[in-house]
Amino acid sequence: MPKISNARNELINGIRAITPMLMGIAPFGMVCGAAAVSTGLTPWQAFTMSWVIFAGSSQIAAMQLFASGAPLLIIISTAAVINLRFLMYSASIAPHFRRLNGRWHVLLAYLVTDQAYAQSIAHYLENKENEDLHWYFLGIAGALWVCWQISTVIGILLGSLTPQSWSLDFIMPLTFIAMVVPLLSTRAMLLAAVAGGSASVLLTLPLKLNLIAAALIGIAAGLLAEKLGQAK
Amino acid sequence: MNPTAGEASSLLIWTMMISIGLITFLIRFAPIALLARLELPQWLKLALTYVPPAVMSAIITPALFFVDGAPTIDPDTPRIAAAVFAALIAWRTRSVLWTVVLGMIALWGLQALAR
Repeated sequence: MPKISNARNELINGIRAITPMLMGIAPFGMVCGAAAVSTGLTPWQAFTMSWVIFAGSSQIAAMQLFASGAPLLIIISTAAVINLRFLMYSASIAPHFRRLNGRWHVLLAYLVTDQAYAQSIAHYLENKENEDLHWYFLGIAGALWVCWQISTVIGILLGSLTPQSWSLDFIMPLTFIAMVVPLLSTRAMLLAAVAGGSASVLLTLPLKLNLIAAALIGIAAGLLAEKLGQAK
Repeated sequence: MNPTAGEASSLLIWTMMISIGLITFLIRFAPIALLARLELPQWLKLALTYVPPAVMSAIITPALFFVDGAPTIDPDTPRIAAAVFAALIAWRTRSVLWTVVLGMIALWGLQALAR
């Protein structure tokens, strides 16, 4: 099979694989857009944020902290901690992008997300001799990016229209629940989640440091549980 | 709000967005740019495994107990019940869509009952 057509096939395979997941991503994008304008950002600022940052969880956290008047440095470091997981994703997928040039690297790095990483690695594990993983990744991540921007704009437009009594802000925790729960298949992961969750409610720290502190406590709990599990 | 305060808050928003955007891009880009030459230390890899559950549940739980950022005396029972229900759905279906749809329906139902 000629090379070009395999690249194209992989691009299309990626788009196909992500399509059902877009149904879950679209509401999350809309929530992000709506949350941004309800926090007091102008529609233009809210839209810029969705492509400058392009990482929903950190956008939501930043909005919540901003609304509660947290200092700039705390907002930025909390968002950075939330996005640190991309370090792991990028490091894990980097060997597959080795022979590509710098432009590809910038493009693919910008598009790294939970779903794009997870789906691409799963695809790689299924057919190992695939040399066009970057096209598959681009199909997944590109479709996700377009869906994210469109749904953010819809969220920005609807944000001011939907009445508060609909409790649509609840979609945000629901989306996170849907992403976290499947991860909790080991005792250590479960402990990390329980410790992080309880710490963030129980801790009262100045400067809104709760979130970072709770995250670190959760990570420590997970590591400890894993250590103890191995020691047995 | 007077114009100076508005300008200050607008500057704050832009600074926040651009800083987070730059940092996030560097986090995504550094390992890919350094290719496989960069081998993360084992302890950091392990720690990063626990970032998603720890951070996400730290973000979710206050949203169930606090209304508008202020601690409430009564935890928001319909929200907590709906969240537990949604967690069960997420466990069974592993679908974001079903979790969001059924979770919202559960919340509306419970809110109607509580009234």
